[in-house]
Amino acid sequence: MVSTVNRPSPLSAALQFPIEPTEVLRKRRPLRRLLLEQSNLVPTRIAILGGSTTSELRDMLELFLLAQGIGPAFYESGYNGYAEEVLFQNAGLWNFKPDIVFFHTTWRNVSQFPDLLESDSDVERRVHTECARFESLWEKVHADLGALVIQNNFDLPGVRSLGNLEASASYSRSSFLMRLNAAFARYARTHSRFLVSDILHLSAQVGLGVWYSASYWYRFHMAVSPVATVALAQNVAAIVRSAYGKSKKCLVLDLDNTLWGGVIGDDGVQNLVLGRDHPVGEAYGDFQRYVKDLKRRGIILAVCSKNDSEIAKQGFDHPDCILKLEDFSAFRANWNPKPENIRAIAAQLNIGLDSMVLVDDNPAERALVAQELPEVAVPDVGSDVSRFAEIIEHERFFEADKLVQDDLSRSAYYSVNAQRSASENAFSDYGEFLDSLAMRAEIGPFVPVYQERITQLINKTNQFNLTTRRYTSAEVEEISQDPGCVTLYGRLADRFGDNGLVSVMIGRVSGATVELELWVMSCRVLKREMELAMFDALVEECQARAIRNIVGVYIPSSKNGLVAGLYADLGFGHVAGIAGERETWLLDLPQAYTARSRHICRGTAAVEAPATA
Amino acid sequence: MTREEFCIEMDEILGLPAGTIRGDEKLEDLENWDSTALVSFLVLAESNGGRSVSLADVASCFTVADLLRLGQVEEPISS
Repeated sequence: MVSTVNRPSPLSAALQFPIEPTEVLRKRRPLRRLLLEQSNLVPTRIAILGGSTTSELRDMLELFLLAQGIGPAFYESGYNGYAEEVLFQNAGLWNFKPDIVFFHTTWRNVSQFPDLLESDSDVERRVHTECARFESLWEKVHADLGALVIQNNFDLPGVRSLGNLEASASYSRSSFLMRLNAAFARYARTHSRFLVSDILHLSAQVGLGVWYSASYWYRFHMAVSPVATVALAQNVAAIVRSAYGKSKKCLVLDLDNTLWGGVIGDDGVQNLVLGRDHPVGEAYGDFQRYVKDLKRRGIILAVCSKNDSEIAKQGFDHPDCILKLEDFSAFRANWNPKPENIRAIAAQLNIGLDSMVLVDDNPAERALVAQELPEVAVPDVGSDVSRFAEIIEHERFFEADKLVQDDLSRSAYYSVNAQRSASENAFSDYGEFLDSLAMRAEIGPFVPVYQERITQLINKTNQFNLTTRRYTSAEVEEISQDPGCVTLYGRLADRFGDNGLVSVMIGRVSGATVELELWVMSCRVLKREMELAMFDALVEECQARAIRNIVGVYIPSSKNGLVAGLYADLGFGHVAGIAGERETWLLDLPQAYTARSRHICRGTAAVEAPATA
Repeated sequence: MTREEFCIEMDEILGLPAGTIRGDEKLEDLENWDSTALVSFLVLAESNGGRSVSLADVASCFTVADLLRLGQVEEPISS
């Protein structure tokens, strides 16, 4: 995926589907030069600890990260030094202070395999011992470095000495590696700062004959061939992108010949090609199932179609249509240019264009959107629906590092929000409308149950974000336990439903002063005065701690102009910095403070039954 | 692959402006001829020639012309 900061050039298109690995390898130097010209790269420090040669992987990973707007600095372990550098606290690694530690190991780094005809219980003991060896490394990285760990699971050897027996014999290498993979997966499920890079799947996808090259292993000790390293780098880059909240949020779909075969305006709903009675219809049905799966895990769906709106909606009445109208949070079917509609969808959903992906079978429409809206990802899906899902997956647009409950409710939120917006029209006074929502906010210090969502919100919020500081889950946990920090989370619910956890504040206390180093709020609750409720809670916390001054910092970015005047509006005085650069604001808390929030009750944000009126 | 095409590919591998490599340069004189460039050349040669190139083969190359022969690049027929 090319960064949406600049229009993709023919050179940088080498990193877009379909990727030709040999082209990327050959063009790495000019690509790197081009991508380093970008501004506003999110810095990150990545330690690659290898069980084999890692230089090619580092080069390729850098390209894919740069293309995603992430500017990496790297540390590489010595050859096969992945274990000893951690166990012996290599000074170079420790002083590098990585944000992310990537363990690039493969099946060749397994220290023991079962003997032939070994009992199942003995094999299980070996699994436990081998897994414990890796766990000791991860836990040392977590404890001493506080870094996110990305760990390859295990690929399978290209040669099977037991033939097909490898699949069933518990003592086979293949079975042992699969058990280790299951153990790694269990660890990932129970540890928040640990992500698996699924090279078992990746190696199958590229083919073991491509994944491993004896020639490159014996010449360079590359456990993964140069060509497959391109795919591995893209895979790891997608994981990093996800960890930094830069995965896409919204899938925008055309209708005719994208979600169903045929043109509904011409063919009518009864003649659409959809369903298992027709091979192409079955393919459209499977694509709709894939899209529905994306929606279930929190990807927002939108329609952008050149059609009469009412006729277009009829397509969802087809008996074999998996997707329903209510699956879509935005629906634009008209004869306006698609870039215009996509801008309108972004505005309606309050999301950035750079969080959107367009899938459209029409190459002319794809080209127009790519030209007019370079921030929108427009994969070349072609016109064969049987490949649409594969191509979307190949680009890893929607890579998720975690799923939290808020993700599953995201689509419902947008639907409910449409009801809120509709009810607003009944009021001439905005304050009365806010009162009518019967809003309840739950605001308090960070608690472990919300840590995942807090971390997600910090790393994914761009507009209402005063400093655009990002924190790993490990850092959030550390801050939550630091008595020198003031932390607040805020949940908001109203009579229509629960908006979930929508705001986070972090302040550092020094004497009688607290400096706000982070304040974010989800765009879901803009114009609800939730920021006032959060500020009131902050003042209460300051009063409880005998803090008399609040320092607010505003660091402008390309996306947070929305909050440029927030501290002025809250009554802060400007003390340093000029517009367009880092600004420092100060508020001396008065003895008697009058709460600013007038329309939100504080307590628990328990969800009530939705309003029926 | 023609000689011209190969030289353009070598320009990219070495991070040089297009048209820099003419085909008669000594490898030791090329600033970016390193392990990274070597791997990229091997991938190029093997995809063009359809066979594996050994390190010994590469070690016996001292000029870009030697690499051309190793990569089974078509030379123009001289009249």
